[in-house]
Amino acid sequence: MSYFAEKQPLVADIFSRYPDSPQGRRSALMPLLREVQDAEGFVSESRMAEIAALCGTTATEVRSVISFYSTYHTLPTGKYHLQVCSTLMCALAGSDELWDHLVETLDVQPGEVSADGRFSVQKVECLGSCGTAPMMQINDDGYYENVGPSKCARILQSLRQDLQPLPDNPVPVTVGADGRQVLATGQAIGSSVTGLHRLPEQAGGEA
Amino acid sequence: MKVHVDGIEVELPAGTSAIDAVFSAGGDVPYFCAHKYLSPLGACRMCLVESGSPRKNPDGSFVMEGEGDAATPKIFWFPKPMASCTMQATEGMHIRTAKTSEVVAKAQAGMMEFTLLNHPLDCPTCDKGGACELQDRAFEYGYGASRFGFDRRHAEKHYPLSDFVILDQERCIHCKRCVRYFEEVPGQEVLDFIERGGHTFIDTEEGGLPTGFSGNITDICPVGALLDNVARFRGRNWEYDHTPTTCTLCPVGCSITVDARNGRLERIVAGENRDVNEAWICDAGRFGHPFASEERLTTPLVRNEDGALIPATWDEAITAINRGLLGLPLADLGLFVGADATLEEGAALAALADALNARHVDHFPRHSVFIAPTATLTDVATADAVVVLGADLGEEAPVLELRILEMLRGGLLPAEFAHGTAIADLRLVERPARRPERLAVIGGESRLWGHAGHRVSANGENALTRLAHPDTDDLKAVRALLDGAERPVLILGADALRGASGSAAALLADLASRTGAKVIAIPAGPNSNGLAALNLVPRTGGLGVDRLGEVPAAFISRLDPGMRAGGFTVVHDTHLTATAQLADVVLPAVTNYEKRGTVQNLEGRLLPLNPAAIQSGEAADLIRTLTALAEALGVKAPARGQRGAQTLLMGSVGVNTATVQVGGALHTFARTFVAPAAPHTPKLWTERMRSRDRDWVERIHDLVEGGWTLPVAPAAPQPGGDD
Ligand code: SF4
Ligand code: SF4
Ligand code: FES
Ligand code: FES
Repeated sequence: MSYFAEKQPLVADIFSRYPDSPQGRRSALMPLLREVQDAEGFVSESRMAEIAALCGTTATEVRSVISFYSTYHTLPTGKYHLQVCSTLMCALAGSDELWDHLVETLDVQPGEVSADGRFSVQKVECLGSCGTAPMMQINDDGYYENVGPSKCARILQSLRQDLQPLPDNPVPVTVGADGRQVLATGQAIGSSVTGLHRLPEQAGGEA
Repeated sequence: MKVHVDGIEVELPAGTSAIDAVFSAGGDVPYFCAHKYLSPLGACRMCLVESGSPRKNPDGSFVMEGEGDAATPKIFWFPKPMASCTMQATEGMHIRTAKTSEVVAKAQAGMMEFTLLNHPLDCPTCDKGGACELQDRAFEYGYGASRFGFDRRHAEKHYPLSDFVILDQERCIHCKRCVRYFEEVPGQEVLDFIERGGHTFIDTEEGGLPTGFSGNITDICPVGALLDNVARFRGRNWEYDHTPTTCTLCPVGCSITVDARNGRLERIVAGENRDVNEAWICDAGRFGHPFASEERLTTPLVRNEDGALIPATWDEAITAINRGLLGLPLADLGLFVGADATLEEGAALAALADALNARHVDHFPRHSVFIAPTATLTDVATADAVVVLGADLGEEAPVLELRILEMLRGGLLPAEFAHGTAIADLRLVERPARRPERLAVIGGESRLWGHAGHRVSANGENALTRLAHPDTDDLKAVRALLDGAERPVLILGADALRGASGSAAALLADLASRTGAKVIAIPAGPNSNGLAALNLVPRTGGLGVDRLGEVPAAFISRLDPGMRAGGFTVVHDTHLTATAQLADVVLPAVTNYEKRGTVQNLEGRLLPLNPAAIQSGEAADLIRTLTALAEALGVKAPARGQRGAQTLLMGSVGVNTATVQVGGALHTFARTFVAPAAPHTPKLWTERMRSRDRDWVERIHDLVEGGWTLPVAPAAPQPGGDD
């Protein structure tokens, strides 16, 4: 069962963003992975092979790229994918204990999904919210900060009833197609607000 | 270009890397990720040096330092140590290594400490121990201590990447040599880093490594992470007798080192020969050696009255041969030899044939034409067009395939210095651009097929005629490639040469002269090129090995046609082959790993064989066996030993093989002998080359029967933690 066979316009669109050369074709790897990950929640081995064939590379290389990023998954994730920061600041503030607690109470190990299909867990490196350690991210929805024992309990209880509490903060920054960085709220931030210039030869296109 | 290394001035060609500048100046820099035949990439950061260059003023004069006549160009040093493998040396550059710079010494010791952070340090049980770059460099450049007191990374220690290669993920130092090797050399992206940072490990997603050239990664891995599974746990590096010699499983003639221990061949590793195999060998050449120490014949066998072959002494065998051949006219004795015999052995056999006036003389396999090579392997690698006709290189001459793939990458041969091949040739890049349009494959599908820009399915036998007179658009395109190229090379394989005659040779000569192409016709056997110079083909009225059954009596050396001669049959072989089982007398032979002698490879290069220390009982090479045969026949032995055979060879073909150097030398014989030949399909791997199981069973049996008790560790918990 092919994922992209039915989506030729999409594939063509993705490839059109890169030079029409073997190297260019390989560059389409990331958006193709993102497409599958968003649609299916993970990238299975057969999808890896499919993407490899599209990009003119091997499944080994696709897996290498996938595994470099903690945001791609090779196994299905639960409805709520809890990503616990385990880097130094959070570790000092108790992320190990948070992790142990989650793994124990939810009865899931990394790579597994809890019996009710709700939960999966993953250790991630610093998410840039060290001031509010320990913290975790749920799906791509946002940051849950200063997650101590009682806050953790509250969050888990709501999630069990499928009432996901609002995150303390949205995932900070995304980069739009035009290269600008925006907060989840849509507010433009960073040097891209003023610091982006069109290259002369591209001038004339809409900004 | 003048470069100063630790105060020593050296003159170097432009483009030299800083690391090669240091080695040229007689200095030393530790390195792990750089490799002679791979692109430099700067992954391990061990090769740090301090460097600086003079700078020019806007008016073109140098920025000077000092007063008056004592003024010298001021050297602007980089603020931090730099990786010398990825830095180009420039005019007037100054380089300081650990020898003169404390900064460098400290940086390197620090890098070493990093590299060893997660290393298991299990050298006592590691096959690489004693020949490990990490071990050596840690000893030379490390602190000798670690400040890391925590648990090391634990990962898979016996991870089979294929039947032949075992990966120990804990030992890997992430130099990326293996990854680059597969991508750059055989052009197969089958290995890569998985995960990142401290979790990184090497793996494949292709369900194993492709057989062909996979074993080379076990040579280039600077640590004991990738190990040859055939040789695993067979011996320590300092226990092996290392014998540099030549592989004679196919006509490429790669340089190899044979490692033997306690009289057993345990391991083969690649040697370096810039002209032939660079630093690579094929999997058959590396892993296909179990036969040399397994089920060998160690004494002569003579068939007794009950029809059984029973062990005998050489004297008994000689008597048996003498009796068996009694009354047979000497000229009726057939003399047949395998085409991996050395030139010296061939000369001895030819001389005996002359002395006996024998007619039925032959070597096998061979082609019915002899086409002298005009291209060298270096010509192949540096060609701008290669056309392969009717060849399955994987079976006929694997490393020739690698040289063709090198051509596709632009044929950049790493520079050579006094210290050897450039350690980091900056022209080699990761993911090199390839030029498939320069390669045409005509014939059946093969591994090379996938790399070729022009592929023409054709019956190999008429491929040459069709290329000379192209009848399809595809063939016309190949012809245009050949016509338009400046340095084209034509390669003919077994399919194209099968049943070829003189007219085919003439056609080829004509095509070559029209297009300016150089030619390699892959010989049928490992030393077919050399043996063709000796009169080892059926003589007037004689029969070839294909009509063995009609020959009245025969002596057959290291050939397994699976049948016996019409009458008395003597077989000289290393194993009890199907043919040997049918023989009247079997004489034990040595393998080519145990011989001294000379072979000629597919480009006409004479290459030396040296005997490894392998136990084979009373086995003898062909020269000594022929003295026994001569004794049985009551004639004078053609040559009493290697020296005598060399003299014979000098007399018959005018080449002195006593002076052949390690790297070999090209030689063209003035005369060659040809005769019609039976068709032959080349096959690289044989059953005996694969298995080592029987061998294990034998050894375990030895241990058990020998009354050994294996020590068992006490079950009590040991004090101390992980480290
Ligand atoms: S397995 Fe060996 S060659 Fe490959 S990256 Fe690790 S250390 Fe280097
Ligand atoms: S290519 Fe031929 S000579 Fe070289 S290692 Fe393989 S079998 Fe031996
Ligand atoms: S250490 Fe946890 S967010 Fe930075
Ligand atoms: S960085 Fe590894 S050899 Fe230079």
